[in-house]
Amino acid sequence: MIDDPHQEPRPDTFEANREGDELNVRDVHGAILREKDDPRDGYEPIPLWLVSFFMALVFWGGAYLAFNSGGFESTVFNPAQVSWAGGGGAPKAPPDPKVVGKRLFTANCVACHQATGLGVAGQFPPLVGSEWVLGEDGHGDNHLVQILLHGLQGPVKVKGAPYNGAMPAWKQLKDDQIASILTYIRSEWGNNDPPITADQVAKIREETVAQTEPNTQTLLQAIPPVQFEAAVAPAAPAKDNAPPPAAPAPATAPGA
Amino acid sequence: MSMTFDHPVTTPELDKAERALIDESTRIPVLLFYGSAVFWLLIGTLFALLASFKMNAPHFLDQWGWLTFGRVRPAHLNAVAYGWASPAGIGTALWLMARLCRVPLRNSGLLICAAIFWNIGILLGIFGILSGDGRSIEWLEFPNYASFMLFVAFGLIAVWAVIMFRFRRPGHVYVSQWYLLAAFLWFPWLYSTANILLNFEPIQGGAQGAVNWWYGHNALGLWFTPIGLAAAYYLIPKVLGRPIHSYYLSILGFWSLALFYSWNGMHHLIGGPFPAWLVSASVVASMMMFIPVITTAINHHMTVRGNFHALKWSPTLRFTVFGAMCYTLSSVQGIFMAIPSLNKVTHFTHYTVGHAHLGLYAFFTMIMFGSMYYILPRVVGWEWPSARLIRWHFWLSAIGIGVMVIALTIGGLLQGLALLDPGVTFMASLDYAKPWLLLRSGSGILLTGAHIVFAVSFTLLVLKTGKRREGPTLFGTDQGEQPEALIP
Amino acid sequence: MNRMPVIVIGVFLTFLSSWIGLVAYPYFALGRFTPFTAEDTGDINPPPLSGLAVMGQRAYASSGCVYCHSQQVRQVGYGSDLERGWGSRPTVARDYMRQNPVFLGTMRTGPDLANIGARQPSSMWHHQHLYQPTVVSPGSIMPSFRYLYRTQKIEGQRSANAIDLLPPDAPADGYEVVPTYEAEALVAYLLSLNRNYPLPEAPEPPQ
Repeated sequence: MIDDPHQEPRPDTFEANREGDELNVRDVHGAILREKDDPRDGYEPIPLWLVSFFMALVFWGGAYLAFNSGGFESTVFNPAQVSWAGGGGAPKAPPDPKVVGKRLFTANCVACHQATGLGVAGQFPPLVGSEWVLGEDGHGDNHLVQILLHGLQGPVKVKGAPYNGAMPAWKQLKDDQIASILTYIRSEWGNNDPPITADQVAKIREETVAQTEPNTQTLLQAIPPVQFEAAVAPAAPAKDNAPPPAAPAPATAPGA
Repeated sequence: MSMTFDHPVTTPELDKAERALIDESTRIPVLLFYGSAVFWLLIGTLFALLASFKMNAPHFLDQWGWLTFGRVRPAHLNAVAYGWASPAGIGTALWLMARLCRVPLRNSGLLICAAIFWNIGILLGIFGILSGDGRSIEWLEFPNYASFMLFVAFGLIAVWAVIMFRFRRPGHVYVSQWYLLAAFLWFPWLYSTANILLNFEPIQGGAQGAVNWWYGHNALGLWFTPIGLAAAYYLIPKVLGRPIHSYYLSILGFWSLALFYSWNGMHHLIGGPFPAWLVSASVVASMMMFIPVITTAINHHMTVRGNFHALKWSPTLRFTVFGAMCYTLSSVQGIFMAIPSLNKVTHFTHYTVGHAHLGLYAFFTMIMFGSMYYILPRVVGWEWPSARLIRWHFWLSAIGIGVMVIALTIGGLLQGLALLDPGVTFMASLDYAKPWLLLRSGSGILLTGAHIVFAVSFTLLVLKTGKRREGPTLFGTDQGEQPEALIP
Repeated sequence: MNRMPVIVIGVFLTFLSSWIGLVAYPYFALGRFTPFTAEDTGDINPPPLSGLAVMGQRAYASSGCVYCHSQQVRQVGYGSDLERGWGSRPTVARDYMRQNPVFLGTMRTGPDLANIGARQPSSMWHHQHLYQPTVVSPGSIMPSFRYLYRTQKIEGQRSANAIDLLPPDAPADGYEVVPTYEAEALVAYLLSLNRNYPLPEAPEPPQ
């Protein structure tokens, strides 16, 4: 059954390329002379085990496609997605603010303040043991919230070292998000200060709603510092809730 | 024309004279494409070294924009994919087509034009990327003024291939011819569609990723793979003088490749912003690739079985069988990488880079080397001048790619596992990979050596240096040993 | 299989099937979006890019940022993108409707940038980072893009857009480093990268 090319008629196809040339067979390159015939096909049958395996593969493929195609909708992007609206099951426990805070910190703050909270010397202030974070040395917890809400620019001193950067405002984050970030940085890396709640952030946001310029150290020093007492937090022991005194609206005259 | 013989002619002698004429007719196009390929291989390897060193030492030569990593890396990819691999494949393909169609190559003018357009296109494209005109669409970085040249060249080659096949000697069509004809039809369609929809008249962003990776994967599976397989299907049985194990497996392998490979593209985008069913279809298509891959592996293995000792002597066979085995290896690796639970570890890591080199270098490039070792003596009329150079080439390449793939696989896995754990900082994922990237640079130096050796060998052959050899240049012939029976 | 038409037709049909599935279908389903207008806020999502940001896309392509950075937040269960804070929700096709070209990326030698504009809204940080990444990101292996900046003599007073640098990266006394137009465009583009708005096909996942 193997085709034998030698038995087919030979069309005269060589004139197209060579005219008037003489070719001495002995000059034909040795490599061609010693070559074996061109490859031909064998006709072994396909093994049965191979066919069975392939059938099984096709079956698996069909099943996989049926179960992981989101109904073949172009708006379903996750093969496992059923619905975001919570399906049945036990109600979930409220998320731990420290875990949420760490995630948000990692997402938003690590670029400058670093995952270690140590900042970058001369560039970005550290948060570890920082008086700004812990509300010490004339700094208030209200100042800290304000920094998150409106940013901080210009020359500042942190742990005795000077910095002169521009921290952007983060007021686009929600109150509970800011509260969880601040809770996280106040209880990590050896820092040990009470958590901050969403209500406390909301109050300061409301009070400073007219502010459009970023804070500066001078601006903040004009505001009396306030220490929030440990307010109601899910895991913290209950303490007296001393509400912060009403802070005067900071001056927002342009160029201040 | 006439041929002179000084004795009564036998049919086998006429056969060989025919082959000589066919080889003669392919000489200029093959040498043009092979010569360009070797040149761009050196350039592409240089860019690869630069890119690799820059990952080890980011400040290495970073004062200039034209050498920034983001330009050198695509310059490398395009130089090796379109500058080395494609012309090497085309040169091999047109010789195979001529031999298998059993007629001398016709319309060589088309191919010469194509080669010229091709090289101009690559030159413009590489300069374009380095000067900042790169499109940053993977595998399609060439600016329009360069990709247009490549498209014209591809078009000319496709026209040539169809005419060549149409006017073949009637009779049995061998499996390699199916693959080559298919590759020459598929690639212009792929290249033109992708460039039009992404570069010339870009479609809206949401759909671009799908078209990009439909092209990217099919460039590998429907252009390079068929040419590599066509060469392996020809060279292995030819050198051994044995038939291919099973025609039926060849048929199954060819059609299952055609059907499934082209649907794989979305496995580059698992977890990405695309409809779930599209990604799942590609995952299924990727798993189905077991069919053509196992089929081809059985076909090749059973053809060689019992003759592995031939790899000791024949450069062609050694490079080609190495390549064919790595085809199986890289394809199986690729299939597993498409499984979502594994993909979430390997996606975006150096593991993928290792896989890409296992496919394009260990499979395709090694088979191209094997093809060139076979074809060039026949087309030039001179044997390879030095078996020692061939030996160095093989071992530098084999060890180089082995070390590279192992380094990137391990480094990539460590990087991926670190990225998967949100408790591990991003910086740490880099630190895990760093020592392996250093090892990769070391392997790059070996591969650079291999390519320089090959380029020297190639040049010496084309210039017909040294004494005229009577027999083939085999591993071990420099020491005067002659293997019996096996003469490629 | 000895006849040319058989091979050609078969090759054509198998390829056509993938063209329909991976080219034509994405074009129709994912390539003709209109933006979504939120009823309550009136926001148009995804928001249009400023002219400078559109030029910034070309700068991003020109410098090859995509070869180290991806721009996609993967689906839930496909990696830890959300847990790393790289986005508030997975990205969907409509998020990229205004991007051209789209830089989905395939390597994370650097972090994902799909929402870098939300994560790092300070343009000064971006300029410092591009000029010398280790200034703001110690241990980074990102190369310097200082070829996008100009060191010039201070004429009179410091330029408004000069970037703040400390030794050893700061220029000599009396000199300042200013971004070129390309750098400004690139930073404008980076700042525009924010997909944290909700879309009907991509609401925010529960915390």
